[in-house]
Amino acid sequence: MASAAEGRGVPRRVAITGLDTFAGLHTAERLLDWPQPPEIVGIDLRSPRRLEGRVGLHRVDLTEPTADSQVAEILEKERCDTLLHAGFLSHSHSDRSYAHELEVIGTLHVMNAAASAGVRKLVVLSTAEVYGPSPYNPGYLTESCELRPHPDSHMARDRAEMEQLLGLFADRHPQVVVTVLRPCWVIGPTIDSRVLRHFESARVTTLLGYDPLLQWLHESDLLDAIERVLRRDARGPYNLAGAGALPVSTLLRLAGKRARRVPHSVLQRLGYAGTLWSDGDAPAGFYDYLRFPWLVDVTRAREELGFEPEYSTKEAWMSFVVSRRLRRYR
Amino acid sequence: MTESQELHELREAIAGLREEIEGRWMRSGAPPADEDPEGAVGAARGEREAPGVLDGLAAEIRARASEVDWLGLFNELRRRFAGFGIAEGGTEIDDFGLDPAYLEQRRGWLDFLFERWWRIETAGTELIPSGERLLFVSNRSGVLPYDGLMIAHAVERAAGAESRPRFLVADWLLGVPFSAGLLSRLGGVRACAENAERLLRTGRHVIAFPEGQKGALKPFSDRYQLQRFARGGFVSIAVRERATIVPVAVVGAEEVHPILFQSSFAERLLGVPLPVTPTFPWLGPLGLVPLPSRWRIRFGAPIRFADVPPECAADPLYVNRTREIVRGTVRTLLEQEVRGRSSVF
Repeated sequence: MASAAEGRGVPRRVAITGLDTFAGLHTAERLLDWPQPPEIVGIDLRSPRRLEGRVGLHRVDLTEPTADSQVAEILEKERCDTLLHAGFLSHSHSDRSYAHELEVIGTLHVMNAAASAGVRKLVVLSTAEVYGPSPYNPGYLTESCELRPHPDSHMARDRAEMEQLLGLFADRHPQVVVTVLRPCWVIGPTIDSRVLRHFESARVTTLLGYDPLLQWLHESDLLDAIERVLRRDARGPYNLAGAGALPVSTLLRLAGKRARRVPHSVLQRLGYAGTLWSDGDAPAGFYDYLRFPWLVDVTRAREELGFEPEYSTKEAWMSFVVSRRLRRYR
Repeated sequence: MTESQELHELREAIAGLREEIEGRWMRSGAPPADEDPEGAVGAARGEREAPGVLDGLAAEIRARASEVDWLGLFNELRRRFAGFGIAEGGTEIDDFGLDPAYLEQRRGWLDFLFERWWRIETAGTELIPSGERLLFVSNRSGVLPYDGLMIAHAVERAAGAESRPRFLVADWLLGVPFSAGLLSRLGGVRACAENAERLLRTGRHVIAFPEGQKGALKPFSDRYQLQRFARGGFVSIAVRERATIVPVAVVGAEEVHPILFQSSFAERLLGVPLPVTPTFPWLGPLGLVPLPSRWRIRFGAPIRFADVPPECAADPLYVNRTREIVRGTVRTLLEQEVRGRSSVF
């Protein structure tokens, strides 16, 4: 905070799209805890009850055709200097075209609004899933690696398309500091996602004969990283993950869970029916993320942001396991 | 006439013997070990068979069968099969998936392969430098990465557990079910420049096989013919990471899976190369058992790049020249060893 670069980067008025998502809600709470909290403007369809009275909410549906001018109007009126775009789906949406509207077109609206309203900094929450799982991946993927999302995973594909648009936007508008965060799977006691639903049950479906290393990022470390990029200016993508990586089988053994090992060909043939039978929530393409490695290298985040995750992969996983176990006894 | 009479007597004698044996079995309480063989004897015995013997046998089998927990047996077998190369090991795993606890559990096996199966002799281990980043460069042989595993084991036996190098493995092998988990637990890493650099930078030694696929899948008639050394990426890595190249020649590993030919049809079908050996795929999984040839692993004099400016890593001419020097060294070692041995086994 003492350095000049940070002083310049510290936001005064922050707009958060997707205030009712995990990242939006908790980032808002963290910003309100700062000694000199910035003004927060929420943009979402619903307001989280925890923030009522503390944060003003503007109701905007990002899938509407005129969402860009609505958002631009809000940003101008509130004189926001920073925009955190967290308005993404945490669960795979069954309606692919709606998901595409929200994730890709919604982001397009948001970035165009940011440019026209003169926002200085735009932080976008992507995911490391955009790299895609592959036996040909290097052991650790760096930010310069090509994005090859799994073709069946429309969620990862949408995010990759969104990142591509964002890259073009950043080239066209050098006056806007565009930061992209690519966290690996986020885990923790309070966050909920389709991936965690998969790992919640006592018997977890995995692939027969495949046991890749997995990384986890603890939810508080994700929030810490968001706070860091809000405080200081950082351009481009940043991978985020906890220290270390563990094979799926070891994770399950640590949790005392059992694996239901299914041949990949069976899951593939059964297609959607197969995923319904095993886990209602696991979308197409998900299992390939349990088949081949897609580990990310966090050197850039560590060196440029000073990002040091508090929880290693193992600790993050254990915090999830313990919290879910306690929840069952409540 | 006399012939049929003799036959009749013989039959009766056999039947008498049989009855006596069965009687003794009944008295000792043990069931007959197996069914009677079909034929004239069996037919003749049919009417005289005490009904109690068969009934007793059937009851015995039924009683034993109900004792066996078939579901449990099925579940156990399924668990064993599904967990092959996966279920055991520790929970401390390094960033490329090496599991020290698993390696320790398997040490007996590795020692057996090293000492008994291939009776490996090492030479030149005193030339392995200590306190430097090492990039072992070896000839590739055999389809499965036994050679990498054994070089790693040889280095560990000579220089201590902390200097156990990691061996690079072809990608296609890591896409095959069960092999990725198993190989990475034993220290295998996917062969690519990023991985080799990361390993060297974090202080771990690396074994590279610049021949790659060409070396692994060459037919038996081309054994010990060193293939081309790819594009010399290993030289760039060594120069950039300030690593010392240690040439290694492995003799004997080329005979563990003598490749007759490559089945391109099967390759198109399966998506992975399918070499045909005298035992594979004819004997199924048994065909994967390597032949017990006698091996020699010889380490050569290290090649250092301390005084080479780092820009040379990007100079194609320099890289090419150095690549050929290293290849020549490995080839010389290989030829000396092949000439020096008296027998494959």
